[in-house]
Amino acid sequence: MLSPVNVSIESLNLMTLVPMLIPIIGALFIIVIDLFKSEQDKSLYVMLSLLILGVDFVALVDSAGVFANNGTIMGVFDMMLIDGLAILSQFIIVGASMLFIPLALTHKRFHEFSYPEFFALFLFMIAGFQFMVSTDNLILIFVGLETASLALYTLIAMHNRDKSFEAAVKYFTMGALAAGFFSFGSMVFYALTGSVEINQIATVLTANNYADIGFVLVGVVFLLAAFGFKLSMVPFHTWTPDVYEGSSAALAGYMSIVPKIAAFIVAMRLFEFLIHSGVVWLEVILYMGVVVTMTMANIWALVQSDVKRMLAYSSISHAGFVMAAILIGTTQSNSALFLYWILFSFTNLGSFSMLWISRQKNLPAHQQSDHSYDKFAGMVKTSPVAASIMALFMLSLAGIPPFALFWGKMYLMSSAITGGYTVLALIMALNSAIAGYYYLKLIVYMFMKDPVVENNGHVYSANATLPLKTIIGIAAIGTIFAFVAVNQLIEFVTLFVYNSGY
Amino acid sequence: MLDHILSILIFFPALAGILGFVVNKNSIRSYGVAVATIEFGLAMWLWFAFDSTLSGMQFMEQIALVPAFGINYIVGVDGISLFIIILAAFFTMIGIASLGEMKDIKNLIITLLFLQMTMVGVFVALDAIVFYLFWELSLVPMLYIIGAWGGPLRIYASVKFFLYTFAGSLVMLVGMLFMAYFYYQATGEWSFALLDWYRLILPESFQNWLFIAFFFGFAIKVPMFPFHTWLPYAHGQAPTIGSVILAAILLKMGTYAFIRFSLPLFPDASVYFMYPIAVLAIIMIIYTAMVAYAQKDIKQVVAYSSVSHMGVIILGTFALNVEGITGSIFLMIAHGVVSGALFFLVGVIYDRRHTKLMSEFGGLASVMPRYATIFGIMLMASVGLPLTINFVGEFLSLLGFYKQSHILTLLAGTAIIVGAIYMLSAYKKMFFGVVTHEENRNLPDINKRELLALIPLTIITIWLGIYPKPILEPINKSVEGVVTLMHEKSLTQEAKLRIPNVNKEMELISKSQREAH
Repeated sequence: MLSPVNVSIESLNLMTLVPMLIPIIGALFIIVIDLFKSEQDKSLYVMLSLLILGVDFVALVDSAGVFANNGTIMGVFDMMLIDGLAILSQFIIVGASMLFIPLALTHKRFHEFSYPEFFALFLFMIAGFQFMVSTDNLILIFVGLETASLALYTLIAMHNRDKSFEAAVKYFTMGALAAGFFSFGSMVFYALTGSVEINQIATVLTANNYADIGFVLVGVVFLLAAFGFKLSMVPFHTWTPDVYEGSSAALAGYMSIVPKIAAFIVAMRLFEFLIHSGVVWLEVILYMGVVVTMTMANIWALVQSDVKRMLAYSSISHAGFVMAAILIGTTQSNSALFLYWILFSFTNLGSFSMLWISRQKNLPAHQQSDHSYDKFAGMVKTSPVAASIMALFMLSLAGIPPFALFWGKMYLMSSAITGGYTVLALIMALNSAIAGYYYLKLIVYMFMKDPVVENNGHVYSANATLPLKTIIGIAAIGTIFAFVAVNQLIEFVTLFVYNSGY
Repeated sequence: MLDHILSILIFFPALAGILGFVVNKNSIRSYGVAVATIEFGLAMWLWFAFDSTLSGMQFMEQIALVPAFGINYIVGVDGISLFIIILAAFFTMIGIASLGEMKDIKNLIITLLFLQMTMVGVFVALDAIVFYLFWELSLVPMLYIIGAWGGPLRIYASVKFFLYTFAGSLVMLVGMLFMAYFYYQATGEWSFALLDWYRLILPESFQNWLFIAFFFGFAIKVPMFPFHTWLPYAHGQAPTIGSVILAAILLKMGTYAFIRFSLPLFPDASVYFMYPIAVLAIIMIIYTAMVAYAQKDIKQVVAYSSVSHMGVIILGTFALNVEGITGSIFLMIAHGVVSGALFFLVGVIYDRRHTKLMSEFGGLASVMPRYATIFGIMLMASVGLPLTINFVGEFLSLLGFYKQSHILTLLAGTAIIVGAIYMLSAYKKMFFGVVTHEENRNLPDINKRELLALIPLTIITIWLGIYPKPILEPINKSVEGVVTLMHEKSLTQEAKLRIPNVNKEMELISKSQREAH
């Protein structure tokens, strides 16, 4: 006879769910509004989403305070795990989303933003990512990942272009495959250890001293493949440029930041104990993955003729660069990951937004793709301010000091040296040098070439509205004046990472 | 105000540059000249307030930037950097003043003001990351100057310039991070401050690796053989003002950094690598001098001769004694003045004929006598004729290295002969004989605006050639500090013996001054 389940409400610690419930309730609320009064203007939904995310952000600040006082919090049958990593990454997820959602306030012609479902899905997606980062339960990670991914597939497809459907289908197929890999990998670990909780798995594996190393290998390889897809690590990256190209620039920029940080957190939780297990081939696989990802992506980026595809490859390369932090596995490197990603989100937000405001409804005859390099030729002559801002983002991506990303790069390279990976630090430096070329290429086109076709500069701001300009302004200020905040960021991030035991 | 003079020197031109966007296009030239003159005045004031009896850093300022990671904004000036700063302010001033009619002159002047910020920043930074910041930032305005106002191959040249130096300095950054980590291991605290690093004693094996890492950054900038290939392109394609600033100031960043970083931080490695580097320097001196002889384009002659002289600076630096290092710093100034002036002069003729091929000219002495005179003086200075500024520096550098190796100094000395040959033959081709091209017959002689730039340079060339003391003394004082530091820090037997060995007769400095008279 089954005994009744006896659980006290306090032990469930339902507070841990609040940051995820806010966007879910918000999404439902948006759908309900549409149910009763449809045909509302998108600005309503944008502002509502912004408010909901704002409330979410405040809730996160609260739980950050609780974490700072009481340490890691578990909740809901110990499935939720609110530690420093969870809080920091949720800050990035929610913060970046707040900066991205106003990009929907373009001129009327992008009709995906007229559907309230867009915003509901957007909020569901955020909740999914939040679940994914604040647990070490493989099943909940899977649920979060799929919630977010399914929403994201739909968001991509909403961009009303042939290429977008293709991109969404491509992403969906790849994502389904990755989901299969993920569940198979989890199954292997469950079979080995009898648990789906990462720290339980770690405990059991360490206790029997990695006896079934062959099976661990299989499990790791499947999980690595699954995250390889999500993080677009080479050789699982092939979907990335196509999907970025097919989705709107705003969403592409979003995809280069938020889903990645969620995947990084899971990878950090999963690979940290594996790296420290002393199994050499694990380290070798990851080392190779990191080096190949940043190098190959850089080389492919060199030959792109479209700025958006270049930025897609560049963000693959940046992801490889940051993946090195997980390989190094020290507190400094894990903090560097967060620092890098926070600074990267400002710069990448800025550069994709610049593409977004220069998006034209129809392609002119002389132009091969939406954002070919040719389009930006001689931009400084017609819209000097926009060209300077774009150049600023490129310099930051290349890692020229004092702009934002330099500090992230420096801290990450320093953590490589501190962790004893001097060769890796050199590889990172040389990769930055290669990357310099393609960022420079855009600057060269903007500042040194003559316009291919005469235009009055309108093409560079065809899509510009005040909210978009505001967002770009925020990104530019964040990029230029990052050095003011770097100290506080390092201290804040290190505190949280250190207190979570990473 | 004097307490913050260095920060003012750094940020005043940048601030003025930002305000310059508002200035009307017709007035921008006057604005630029005014700003650069004020900056030059400030630099002269710095010299006036500078206490040349001290060997350490003066006018230091410190602001915490990223204290959690040991990065601070620290600036200071000593005899080694003082005159390079003045030189940078001076060249920016006469550079802007002598600008002719050009497209987008407003952007050019604003870019030059930003470039000035980075140049001053590099020479006063006493924190490795702040140094790196200005070092990298200086690439951006220069990229724009070459890429937007240069010749037909300007984009290739500017991108090559940027990527070469960028790649080198990233390796240097790894070295800097390693250095800071080493400091952390030794003391338990992170620090990128140069004066902190000076106190650190590094094991020899580390020194050698770090020396190589820094070497990549500096050697590409200098540019040392075989990393020099970007330079002829950059000079060949850059507009006159770009070549002038590049030759006069930007190349000095590399040689200055050798003295500021490599020697005092890695004394044993400096001794260890002295001969290889000296050999590279001598190859650089002789090979580029020979290449210069083969050029058809007068600007390329000046460019290669400039590389050749940079070799003498490197040689003087790695003499590792007071004479050699003092000489090399003096030669940095001298080279700045002389090669800057030569690039100006090439620009003058290019403005008139839009060609730089020597075969297009001939018999110019009769058409443009004033031009020919100034060119002649500068050429003599470049060759290293006594009583000119270059002589003092070259003499001291070679004298310094003579103590290390007689043979190698002799080899380097031959380059002076080759230098005389190519310079004089270039002069002969262009200025002597009959006028070969009809269109040259009516070329206007040098005008007032151009004289404004060239007369001060000529005066400096001769004045400091006859009486180098006011500059030599403060330099000498600070160099003694560097050499003492190297001596104190040296660990290996070789360095312990060699450094005092080549530094026995410190009074030689004053003797050589008397000889220079």
